Amino acid sequence: MNSETTVDIQPIAPGIFTLPPYDKNPPVLLGGYCQKCDKRYFPRPKYCPGCLGLIEETTVGSTGTIYSYTVIRIKPPLGFPSPYSVVYVDLDESGLRVFCLFDPEAIDQLRIGLEVGLAVKPLGDNGQGEPRLRPYFTPRKLN
Amino acid sequence: MAYASVVGVGMIPFGKHPDRTLVDLGSEAAYMALKDADLNPKNVEIGFFANGFAGRLFGDFTIGQNVFWNVGINSIPVVNVENACTSGSTAFYLAYNAVAAGQVELAFAVGAEKLYVPELGLLNSGQTELDTQLGRVAPASFALRAIRYMEEFDATPEQFAQVSVKNRRHSGLNPLSQFRDPITIEEVLGSPMVVDPLTRLMCCPNADGAAAVVVASPDIAQRQGRAVNIDAAILATGNYENPQDQLRWETDYRACGVAYEKAGIGPEDINMAECHDAFAICEILHYEAMGLCPTGEGARFAAKGETELGGRVPVNTSGGLLSRGHPVGATGLAQIYEIVTQLRHEAGKRQVERAKVGLAHCMGGDKEGDTKSCTVAIFSV
Repeated sequence: MNSETTVDIQPIAPGIFTLPPYDKNPPVLLGGYCQKCDKRYFPRPKYCPGCLGLIEETTVGSTGTIYSYTVIRIKPPLGFPSPYSVVYVDLDESGLRVFCLFDPEAIDQLRIGLEVGLAVKPLGDNGQGEPRLRPYFTPRKLN
Repeated sequence: MAYASVVGVGMIPFGKHPDRTLVDLGSEAAYMALKDADLNPKNVEIGFFANGFAGRLFGDFTIGQNVFWNVGINSIPVVNVENACTSGSTAFYLAYNAVAAGQVELAFAVGAEKLYVPELGLLNSGQTELDTQLGRVAPASFALRAIRYMEEFDATPEQFAQVSVKNRRHSGLNPLSQFRDPITIEEVLGSPMVVDPLTRLMCCPNADGAAAVVVASPDIAQRQGRAVNIDAAILATGNYENPQDQLRWETDYRACGVAYEKAGIGPEDINMAECHDAFAICEILHYEAMGLCPTGEGARFAAKGETELGGRVPVNTSGGLLSRGHPVGATGLAQIYEIVTQLRHEAGKRQVERAKVGLAHCMGGDKEGDTKSCTVAIFSV
């Protein structure tokens, strides 16, 4: 089931994004959904903060636009490249504004309003030098 | 009449104290506050001790009992408080509540922190939290606000730099502040970039430090010549709704609004404020939340000099976190130290003329694009 490149690399946290392989379905961020409140959350809460009802897993989106961004230029934590970038993205699917990493290779394209899509790759480590899969947004190639 | 008053304050110089322990720093600030209040420590009925990082950095915890016993306080309830950057102001909030509720006549809030240690690294909001694992560090949270602020409100890095320059100028007049040499806009903009668009001189430095505040009932306060009224002391938590507007910060506005309502005054009544200028952009956002200027006008408000000593409403006359440094557990109490010193008209060269009402504002931690805690206290004479 796993592609050979990521077979041994664990995601940074469970239930945050769909796992590889992505040849049929591209990666999507996962969150929580409360049927009673008809509300989606990211990340998935244990109970619905609105009604304490049960939360089911749902997708919250894989594309969106950048609300804001920054580039961290000091010594990075967790084995991230230097510099690395983080963004808030307004997701098309759910309207949620999520905090996430941005493609370190595409920092020169960063601007508010940039249309982005989700990708997943080994990015940084677990604090003990073991690589981890992390989600990040990258400029969308619009056809 | 206020439900409680500040009757004593103490603070040690913020800076590097490599040869002293955290308990030693906290004990000295506590001693100074007790001497300032001219009170017998045996009359203190409850103590709150604030610290953020000793558990992680030194493996020390439950420190308050050590600090209070060093100044002759024992047997009473002692509570150790951690609430990120608002740890000190949260300890004060609890001391205020204990007195205002009529449970005690005399409560003591002490905060201390030692951050000049090699293993510190970048502060975050909790090592295992998802945002931290996705690369969030404390300056990034505010850099994200700064980039959005420049886009929506047509602000410039030069305007952000003016906050750092102003606070450094104030700091030069405060012997307890850490960095006191004046700086220029060019120096601020030319210092190394930390997190776009915030340069090193737009970010608060670390510090070792301690501060302490004694809170007393009206009965005790009226026997004290230099008591300062506490008209409100509130603590708020984020709303964690999504999406979070990073500029019209509901939690910040709400916290300030509740404090004004409790004090029965409005922003126009404030003569001076200390706010959580952990990064230059923070101070600008907090001007707006405190109602000192309209939303979107904070950067221009700073650039016009309205918040300088001699301006309409001086902010961070102590030098702020930007120049004083930010020993997390002590910061909130150091802000109150400054407000009380100003309202007693004991601030020397940095004295705000006609200072009668002052506001202390602090904020701590990140969660869901919001803050974990926000404290606001209003004082008057």
